[in-house]
Amino acid sequence: MPTLIFPISRIEGHAQVVIDTNGSEVISAHFQATEFRGFDYFVQGIPAEQMPVIVPRICGVCSTAHHVCSVKALESLYGITPPPLARRIRELLLLGQLIQNQATSLFIFTMPDRLGTDSIFETESGNTNKHPAIAIQSLQVRKAGSDLITLAGGQFIHPVKAVIGGVTGGIPSQAAEIMRAKLQAILPVACELFDHYWQTSLEMVERIGSWGDDQPSHYIASTGSSSMNFDSDSICMLDENGKQVDCFSPAQFQEKLTFIESSFSYSDETTYNGEIMRANSLARINLSKEMGTPLADEYLQEFQKTFGKPAHAIMLFDLSRGIEMVYALERAIEILSTSLEGEETSVPFIPRDGEGFGLVEAPRGPLIHHYTVENGVIKKVKFIIPTVHNMQAISRALKVAAKRYVAEGHIDLELEKAVGRVVRAFDPCIACATH
Amino acid sequence: MDTRPHESVEKSGDRMTQSRFAVLQLSGCAGCEVSLLNASEWIDQYRLMYMPLVVSAYDVPEVDILLISGGVRTDQDLHHLRTAVKKAHKVVAVGTCAISGGVANLGDRDEVRDLFLSQSSRRHVPRLLPRCQPVDAVVEIDSYLPGCPPTPELFMAVLFNPEGFQGSRSVCQECGRLKDKSIRPSRLIGFQQGNVQEGLCLINQGYLCVGSSTRGGCRAPCTRAGHPCVGCRGPSDFFIEKESTEWLGSIQRVFDTMTDIPRGEIAQALLSPQFALFLFQFSDYAGGDRPARRKDKVI
Repeated sequence: MPTLIFPISRIEGHAQVVIDTNGSEVISAHFQATEFRGFDYFVQGIPAEQMPVIVPRICGVCSTAHHVCSVKALESLYGITPPPLARRIRELLLLGQLIQNQATSLFIFTMPDRLGTDSIFETESGNTNKHPAIAIQSLQVRKAGSDLITLAGGQFIHPVKAVIGGVTGGIPSQAAEIMRAKLQAILPVACELFDHYWQTSLEMVERIGSWGDDQPSHYIASTGSSSMNFDSDSICMLDENGKQVDCFSPAQFQEKLTFIESSFSYSDETTYNGEIMRANSLARINLSKEMGTPLADEYLQEFQKTFGKPAHAIMLFDLSRGIEMVYALERAIEILSTSLEGEETSVPFIPRDGEGFGLVEAPRGPLIHHYTVENGVIKKVKFIIPTVHNMQAISRALKVAAKRYVAEGHIDLELEKAVGRVVRAFDPCIACATH
Repeated sequence: MDTRPHESVEKSGDRMTQSRFAVLQLSGCAGCEVSLLNASEWIDQYRLMYMPLVVSAYDVPEVDILLISGGVRTDQDLHHLRTAVKKAHKVVAVGTCAISGGVANLGDRDEVRDLFLSQSSRRHVPRLLPRCQPVDAVVEIDSYLPGCPPTPELFMAVLFNPEGFQGSRSVCQECGRLKDKSIRPSRLIGFQQGNVQEGLCLINQGYLCVGSSTRGGCRAPCTRAGHPCVGCRGPSDFFIEKESTEWLGSIQRVFDTMTDIPRGEIAQALLSPQFALFLFQFSDYAGGDRPARRKDKVI
């Protein structure tokens, strides 16, 4: 019974795919998270107010989502509501992260699969860099997202500016205008890259003959069913037909979701009523009626016309990411065109013990922080990581891919590329999933 | 050789003679790698040979510079570290995790150990080591680039001109906020409390800021944004080869000079985890069972 092990690159964190075969039969395919640090444990005993600066260190890619989620968890515990300006600035933070993340996933993680290279940067096997323009432009787009995080969040990787009750300050009009102009200039570059990505995706699918696992699935997202909101309040479940079957607050996660400890991975897995579900871009695109900004809505219409709604094939996660990148740029430009100073940016609070629940829609799906505080220090935490909701869906899609390339006495070498494409479509974050 | 950026991209011959670098990612958060990607100027002048986050390659090939991020948490980390350094002319430890074990070092507690032991039977998954170690506990390091994460500017300095990098001695000197002798707070404000005033030193406002003794070079993004420095860059040159008590004492003296906050309040706050996260590294620089890190090796 041969076991195939593929380490996975061009994703966040350390993971591998393990496929057990027997002749032409694929017995199992597992996606394994191979790292672990233990955040659940070492934050015990930490003064609750210090969490917003510590939790971004769970992950340097998703740090902004953890930062804002942590602040929201403590605000729910202390029973306070941040002023409107603080929420706009936090939305900017989350949009900056969305731009940075979707650009990274599209152009740095998955574009090489479409171009047939190891990297958009030069490597040993690629004699000359055939794609310098793509590499430089991709980095410019993701840098625009980082710059927005820096403006709205202070530090550029582990932001500091969101605080319990609001944010530390507004954004001066001159700085907002410079950023608005920068995003306005990068928007057409991002669209052009995305058009190229869409085109090369079609070419790749023609070559390999599949958009990947297209079995209908449940979807989980918190951005809302009208236009998108990443600073979210409630979580929606869609069934296989795209019908909204449940909607719940972050405080209800334990009764709604089932957590399964895995014996072959440092990450847990979740199910909804025993069903496999999917989080991340495709879940949000299947949930939303519209994006709410002009260019992104054009892309969405094209997407839905071509692939239907709900769409299920896994490499449509990638295209959905592009639509969201365009949306995030447009939405950030809208917010930066409004006044972001001269109003109250935070409200005072009185610390107290109890339980708090925070929720944001991170690029990879709904992120929940659940804190139990006693005597002002953290007694217990639970980080509900969106990648964990995708774990079973990833393994199922891997099995579909493996069956395609494993035959009696013969394994097609395309299999290694296929497992990479499958995993990257879900854009998992292993540092978060294992924390 | 013509080193003008765009020329060199087009001539593949030049590309072959360019410097090569690799990034080995051990157990960490990938924030250092993200910061490196923000410093995109290296693209034209360096060949990135290995960095699993963005490049598919199985092993670290021969390189001029190897950057190592993350701490040594699993037996796989240990193996990768030992094999990778043999391929590199120069080895740089990057970020708090690689230099001091970082936030994962807080995981050296009994609960975490129990969990690790209970998970040792998991299939195909790397075994966790008893504690998370800094990389120089295992291999020799040529230079250190501290920060959580180091800024893109610092990454560029380490790749192109480590000797010529111009940073101030401390974060305080790069902050731009002004001290006001007439304002003497008598109590410490929590990190999350109060409204931060523009332009005024955070210590004058009663925040526990340690920028006065923390290594400069980051250009003080946190304090400029209104959040106190938590010391992620480690000790400034003045304290780097000394005992951590010297360093803690100097922070105390700054508060004695500038505020009327009781000494006990400062001492207690300095031991809180948010600070401990970064401050424990100060004792690591010059203490424990390893020789002190030399300041001329730290960027």
